[in-house]
Amino acid sequence: MLSLSTMAINYKETIEEIKKRFSKDLSGVNTVKDLELLEVKYLGRQGEINLLFKTLPLKDDPRIGKAINDLKNSSQQQLSDKLSVLLNQAPKDTFDVTIPGTPLPKGTRHLITQAIEEIEDIFTRLGFVRRRYPEVETDWYYAEGLNIPKDHPARDDQETFYVANDVVLTAHTSNGQLREMERVKTPPIKMINIGKTYRRQADTSHSTMFHQFEGLLIDKNINITHLVGVMDYFAKSFFGNDRNIRLRPHHFQFTEPSFEIDINCGLCHGTGEIKNSPCKFCKSGWLELGGSGMVHPNVLKNGGIDPEIYSGFAFGWGVERVLMMKSGLNLPDLRLLYTDDLRFLKQF
Amino acid sequence: MNIKITDKALRYFLETPLTPEELAHDISLCGPTFDRVSKVDGDYLYEIEVITNRIDTASAQGIARDSAAILNQMGIKSKLLHDPYLEKINLYPNLPKTFHFEILDNSLVPRFTAVSLENVSIQDSPKDTQSLLSLSGERPINNAVDITNELTLLYGLPGHIFDLDKLAAQKLTIRESKNGEEVVTLDNQNNKLKGGDLVIEDGAGRLVDLCGVMGGSVAEVDQHTKNILLIFPVYQPSKIRRTSLYLQKRTLASQIYEKQPDTELCLPVLMNAIKLFGERTGSRVSSAVYDSNPLPSKAKEILLDINWANNLIGVQISSKTAVSILESLGFSVKNKGQNQIICTVPSWRRYDIDIKEDLVEEIARVYGYSKLPPTLPCVNLPPETKNKLLDTESKIKNLLSSQGFNEVYNNSLISLDLIEKTLLKEASHLKLNNALSKDYEYLRTTLVPSMLQNIKNNQGKTEEPFNLYELSNVYLSVGEKLPQENSMLVIGTTASFRLAKGHLALLFEHLNLKEYKFKSSTSCPIYFVAENTAMINSNSSTIGFIGSIKPAILHKLGITSDPIVVEIDTQKLADSILENYIYKPISDFPDVVEQITINTNERVGDIIEKIRSVDKLIKDVSYLDSFEKNHSFKITFSSPDKNLTQSEVNDVKKTVKTLFN
Repeated sequence: MLSLSTMAINYKETIEEIKKRFSKDLSGVNTVKDLELLEVKYLGRQGEINLLFKTLPLKDDPRIGKAINDLKNSSQQQLSDKLSVLLNQAPKDTFDVTIPGTPLPKGTRHLITQAIEEIEDIFTRLGFVRRRYPEVETDWYYAEGLNIPKDHPARDDQETFYVANDVVLTAHTSNGQLREMERVKTPPIKMINIGKTYRRQADTSHSTMFHQFEGLLIDKNINITHLVGVMDYFAKSFFGNDRNIRLRPHHFQFTEPSFEIDINCGLCHGTGEIKNSPCKFCKSGWLELGGSGMVHPNVLKNGGIDPEIYSGFAFGWGVERVLMMKSGLNLPDLRLLYTDDLRFLKQF
Repeated sequence: MNIKITDKALRYFLETPLTPEELAHDISLCGPTFDRVSKVDGDYLYEIEVITNRIDTASAQGIARDSAAILNQMGIKSKLLHDPYLEKINLYPNLPKTFHFEILDNSLVPRFTAVSLENVSIQDSPKDTQSLLSLSGERPINNAVDITNELTLLYGLPGHIFDLDKLAAQKLTIRESKNGEEVVTLDNQNNKLKGGDLVIEDGAGRLVDLCGVMGGSVAEVDQHTKNILLIFPVYQPSKIRRTSLYLQKRTLASQIYEKQPDTELCLPVLMNAIKLFGERTGSRVSSAVYDSNPLPSKAKEILLDINWANNLIGVQISSKTAVSILESLGFSVKNKGQNQIICTVPSWRRYDIDIKEDLVEEIARVYGYSKLPPTLPCVNLPPETKNKLLDTESKIKNLLSSQGFNEVYNNSLISLDLIEKTLLKEASHLKLNNALSKDYEYLRTTLVPSMLQNIKNNQGKTEEPFNLYELSNVYLSVGEKLPQENSMLVIGTTASFRLAKGHLALLFEHLNLKEYKFKSSTSCPIYFVAENTAMINSNSSTIGFIGSIKPAILHKLGITSDPIVVEIDTQKLADSILENYIYKPISDFPDVVEQITINTNERVGDIIEKIRSVDKLIKDVSYLDSFEKNHSFKITFSSPDKNLTQSEVNDVKKTVKTLFN
């Protein structure tokens, strides 16, 4: 009985001693890491508190087990209280949040690339497939096959570069029309050909090299309202949903009927006036986007397609032109697009 | 071609309730475009863009005819007045001949009308005429000359007057000029002719007219003129165009003649001219009218199926509406039943209306393009495989820009100077036959020369290092009619070789190019320093080069840094890229990473290759740094099926070391 009572007193002391030491250790802890070490030391599998279950004679006195469990619970409580104190205290290491980040070089895709990808993306949504056709081309694909005979006035306007008698640097992307017809043989055709084009002309609104995108759609029962639909979709997607297009009669050798497509001016909103004076950006409220038309039956025939069965439309517009027309860019000179000055290139 | 006409001139032919602004707006949507309307002293001036194949609208009466058709279709009651084609023709057959024309080649002069006038009194034109001419951009001269100019504006058919007394008119020959012949024109310029120009020679052997372009000064009408020879001809258009272009005389007359005006206008306009000469100069007709019409053409007939037309337009326009549109434009229409009509083309549309599609244009535009609803077509396209080249180009641009590289667009045309400075051969370049300037004369065969220029141009302007790239076609002459067009990538950087190579490796990783090697180049393009250039191989083909540029080239171009240039064939690169990713199982066992330093004369790339091939347990070798002949590497050991022991790792390391003893 005596021994039992001594043991009973001893276990109280042992527990009390651990409790005190734990409190002391805990008060010395300042970091989460130290706290975790402390938890292992006392509450780990081999920790001091768990060891008590082995060293004290639990069977002799049921109060012993209860006392150890109390110690365990209160220690756990203190640890978690301390953890929340530690996690919520002010950081020791502060830094100047206004300091600039480490500079990293800004890379860019050229404005023309961005415009081409946007154009391609819009037409891809409509199911057009991107193609690439020669930029140096024979007279047949470039002119004669497009219904522009050898003696036609369009030939001697001196706007085309020649590398041989009948080999030109294309001044338009329409050569892709015949090439695509020959490739596909039997419609439907729904392509967009984007490429470099060259014109023997240089001033603030022309560069000897520029880019065009050529759309061609041929199938059974294609009519003018389809042309209007596609042009309208492009104009709204590229320039903004609030813009409108209109068709005006025009003449091109390779389309019949032919149209000039205009878009209402984004600056004066199609009124032609800004504060009672004429808009400097447009002709009476409208801007010329580019030409288009229903593919001429001779061109279809030249491409091996029967114009009695199939019809289609085509358009060939300038990438730089639509890019410059996008409001807000404000480039004074189209040739700026061809500068290699990084101070320009890095802006976009 | 742009013309200017006044509102008064237009309303001489057109009766309409619209104001000038309303008129301009409404007509522009369906016919000729009115670029501008401006209010001028007591009148309005229209600036009108004439569509190239519609020379019949290059005049007040032509615009009026189109306008009347368009406005009536819009429901605005309008009327064509003073229609020249209804003019009464009097050929004065009882009057004598006072001149004689001989036309050597009828095909060059499809129509020629002439008459002489006597008792002419030259003075200034009335105010109204002077004002009409000035506003339209023509200079008033005198009451006689002004009549032909005014008629050009009103009817779109130029004419000419000679002082009959100054001509040896008993024999006027219309012929082609001979090379070297000269003619002094009314602008007092002496023109040396190339031959093949249309001219009129008089009985004294003098050239008195440069046909269709400008009159000769020999028979100029002046204040003493009493007798006049008046002509209204139509010439072969290409002749007139050629002459006016090479002599740089782009007169209004030549611009009209080169587009072939209606031969049927000659007599009506001549009648109007006679009337005006009588009123303004007091003259009388002194000869019978001369009219040469050697090849009268039969009116064209075109069969049109209205249903077919509606299918092409995309809306249903009733047969009645279609017919009324065509008739209002001057076509005569016969029903052939079953929605089919036969349209007879009016003389003034003879050259622009050829096929049924042309009729569709007439119906649709006058009906109103604005009434056509936008419709997206539904097309059943066959499936399409990805275009690897275009896809790779786009990825390269995205990746390089995210790695801090800036894209530039250079002209495909370069100068001989640049070709020579970069040690290239002129002969391998395609040369323009008609270059605009020496700076843009040859098509590029490589993108490197332009890139070097870009580096030079940015030197001192932008903080170094800078990184530029361009993707573009080069044009290689391959002995066929057309050059080969190859898509190329060039990168130019003033950063170090290692950094450039690192960027390139990252690009390849992102593109999923798995098999590639940088090898010492045995042959490389001439502008690279061979010793400092690696060729980039993938699947045993060379896809490009990376290296430095010959000092001689840098010196000639004024480049002070030693840039690294990468040149890659984009098609070959695209072909080497794996379509899909391949999953490699991740080992369940931890990697062991060890450092090793090797002392050798061998090159780092060769050392790495050797280490890699020592043992299967070596998963990766990466380079750390070098000090003289000592090179440090980090080797990653790994086994897919067990935990590696230190002794196994040490064994492999030992084998590695022995390779370099």
